[in-house]
Amino acid sequence: MTLFGLEITLDLILYTGAFGLIVIGAAGIVLAHHLFRVILALAIAEAGANLLLVLSGYRWDAIAPILSGSESAAPMVDPVPQAMVLTAIVIGVGVQALAVGLAMQVKKTYGTLDMSAIRQRLEADIAGTAGIATTGSQDAPLGERPLPPADAVPVTPGSSAR
Amino acid sequence: MNQIVLIVVLPLLAAFLVPIVARMSASLGAALGPLVMGVCLWITGTVAIESAGNAFAINIGGFMPPLGITFFVDRLALLFAFLTALLVLVLWPFQGEHRPREHALTLILAAASGGLALSGDLFNIYVFYELVSVASFGLVATGRRSSAPAIRYLILSGFGSVLALVGIALVYTQTGTLNLAHLSQLAPTHLINPIGLAAFALILLGVGVKAELFPVNTWVPEVYATAPNRVSALLAGLVSKLAALVILRLLVLVFAQEQALLVMLLLGLLGVITGELAAWRAQDMNRMLAYSSIGQLGMVFVAFSIPGETGVFAGLAIALHHLVVKPALFLLAARWGGALSGLAGAAGGNLPAALLFTLFALSLVGVPPLPGFWAKLLLVMGLAEQVGPLYHFALAGILIATVVEANYLFRIVSTLFHRDSPASPAPQKHSGGDIATAGLFGASLIAAVLLLIPLSQSLKTIAQQTADAAAYRAVVTLAPTTSTLGDTQ
Amino acid sequence: MRNLASLLFAGGLGFLLMVFGLQFDFGNAPMLVGQAIQSAAPEQVGAANIVTAVVLGYRGIDTLGELAILFAASTAVGLILGHRHTSTKPDPDSGLILRAGGELLMPLLLVVGLYIILHGHLTPGGGFQGGVILAAAFFIPVLARPSTPLKHTGMMLIEGFSGAAFILIGLAALYSGGEFLQPLLDKGTLGNLVSAGTLPLLYLAVGLKVGAELAGLLAHLAAAEVSES
Repeated sequence: MTLFGLEITLDLILYTGAFGLIVIGAAGIVLAHHLFRVILALAIAEAGANLLLVLSGYRWDAIAPILSGSESAAPMVDPVPQAMVLTAIVIGVGVQALAVGLAMQVKKTYGTLDMSAIRQRLEADIAGTAGIATTGSQDAPLGERPLPPADAVPVTPGSSAR
Repeated sequence: MNQIVLIVVLPLLAAFLVPIVARMSASLGAALGPLVMGVCLWITGTVAIESAGNAFAINIGGFMPPLGITFFVDRLALLFAFLTALLVLVLWPFQGEHRPREHALTLILAAASGGLALSGDLFNIYVFYELVSVASFGLVATGRRSSAPAIRYLILSGFGSVLALVGIALVYTQTGTLNLAHLSQLAPTHLINPIGLAAFALILLGVGVKAELFPVNTWVPEVYATAPNRVSALLAGLVSKLAALVILRLLVLVFAQEQALLVMLLLGLLGVITGELAAWRAQDMNRMLAYSSIGQLGMVFVAFSIPGETGVFAGLAIALHHLVVKPALFLLAARWGGALSGLAGAAGGNLPAALLFTLFALSLVGVPPLPGFWAKLLLVMGLAEQVGPLYHFALAGILIATVVEANYLFRIVSTLFHRDSPASPAPQKHSGGDIATAGLFGASLIAAVLLLIPLSQSLKTIAQQTADAAAYRAVVTLAPTTSTLGDTQ
Repeated sequence: MRNLASLLFAGGLGFLLMVFGLQFDFGNAPMLVGQAIQSAAPEQVGAANIVTAVVLGYRGIDTLGELAILFAASTAVGLILGHRHTSTKPDPDSGLILRAGGELLMPLLLVVGLYIILHGHLTPGGGFQGGVILAAAFFIPVLARPSTPLKHTGMMLIEGFSGAAFILIGLAALYSGGEFLQPLLDKGTLGNLVSAGTLPLLYLAVGLKVGAELAGLLAHLAAAEVSES
């Protein structure tokens, strides 16, 4: 099958899929405003990398790498990338679970999951801790160190003072 | 000598068991971690004595190298394994309430750092690197307001891991192997090409996140400003050096091409300039230290981009110097974390801390005869020897950065000793433990001045051994079937 | 501006990767190591599933690292969210159908999970896949009855001791004169349930650890959600 003069083959589809997922993930990480979407974009990019990894061991003429009875002489696909992908997927699960846990904590601390709002409040927070006046930090008390107890009341974005 | 694997395995075992032991007996649980790190220190020491500086490889699971995973143990690996155990022990969270989970994460960080120092397999390095990442996200998030920096760090680091994984996939597609010695053997025919360069750039960006490399270091100021200072000290002192060590190994063994060196030189130089300028503008202690850390790591990368043994020697010297100085500075910043202007006259109430800070600042700038001076001298001399405009441009950049560094550090020192302090309240006193630990780092800095010649000689031997890719290949014996297959490719 | 630059970066990355991707010789992997492992695995490890032989034999320490990553993630989530005790009332229990369904599913899922774990060296599957099913078996009843949360102590014991078991099997090989994680015991007949030496034991440890880790993670996240609402 050809499309726009380009022959569509299985490997073209697969590589486009893998690289496309990585690019979609990269774009999502930088463009998404909602923290949870950023975490999802990270998961998408990871899926692309895993697909690329498992493609690196494929052979046209081969079967799954499991020995069964007599036909063990048949060529098999490379088992090493499959083992690596298994590892990479589990690593991805661990990182994503931790990301979701952190996101819940962020929601508790800042009352929002909007990336730019978090970034602004973070800047103000650091500057406030250090006792420096910065432009655009109306809600950070100056002077002393505003370290509330860990179980402080969550600050909603609407409130202007703690 | 195959008990060296214990420095990875024992901390993991202890980490798995710490929550259970702490449930049974709190004091036993609190003692388990430091005890295990002490045992690791002892194991590394005995292996170092036993091996007498000769490199050797151990095959995990008893499988011949390209099939199984190899741990490659040379002077450099042992040095960093030793420093890992030592630094984790020195910076152990003894103070404060005892939290078994925090101990478990610290132990995992130690195990993974040891693994990074020893591993001789590309994908195994990736696994240990991710283990370091996850443990450090958890430790960073223990700070009171560090959940937002931790998640931004996690996302950047996670994307870096994706890039590194793509790089590993490219390497595997080209060569069909992951063992560093085997890759080093196949590299001249399979990886010295644009695909190899792309794979290096992707892995460099991925691992560079932890090594505070130029475009992927945006997490550094936020995390170091909000994380507990002992965690910042571990990340800046230890983890960044191990990531740089991984990049050095890959550069020497697998991606030894000129363009790869130039990419690193450029990124390192940009790191030096942006880091030092940002540190000059910083208004609080923690962020100043964070930006200065970016600048120092940039210098390490500039040094590693000098081909051959000279570059490795200079880079290791700067890295080790930074490894001693920066954790100590972060400990001192624990109570001086506020605005720099608020530190006026702080020396009056706390002379030892101010004197220690001055010592570290002088060494960081590179005032002779402190070790920082010799490290920078090696770098400058190495750069001057190279031909090519970019190297000389880097030389100028390093010298200008040093002037900037001197300006902001001396500004702080003079603030500390400024007598007629304004009405602002004096900063809190440091805890005894912090001062004692920082004093320990200061003492080792002074000891390094006294033992400069033997130290530099042994460092030179380490650099020689590290820069010799042929020796690395000679130590790792590959299974016969795969090496013949490699020839027929 | 920042968005534009980032998009350019993403597009450039994609283009670069595509250019390289089209040069690959897809479907003809070099398989230097893969070939060698395929010919050596039946004799050296004795597992019919060669992926398992790689995961637990040739690259066993990767698997240990991966278990440690799950443990670290679960520990970190516990550290971040764990100290908030549930002060508000949890969600009410769901209706009869969900509760009964949860109770019926649990033993079935346990059996399927254990089957997949124990046959990991023979058929596709193994400790990770089976472990996820075990985690689901323990977590579905929690979803049906939010008022009876998982017992953290039990989970902690399972995750600690199964991880320790994996390491201790590896250390047993080290102290019987071999290397860490060297295969022990008799290899048996290729394809039998009792074969491949210590591999099934290792996979059992992996499965239990993965199950306990994931169930613990989900329980932590669920508890934090409850305390937030």
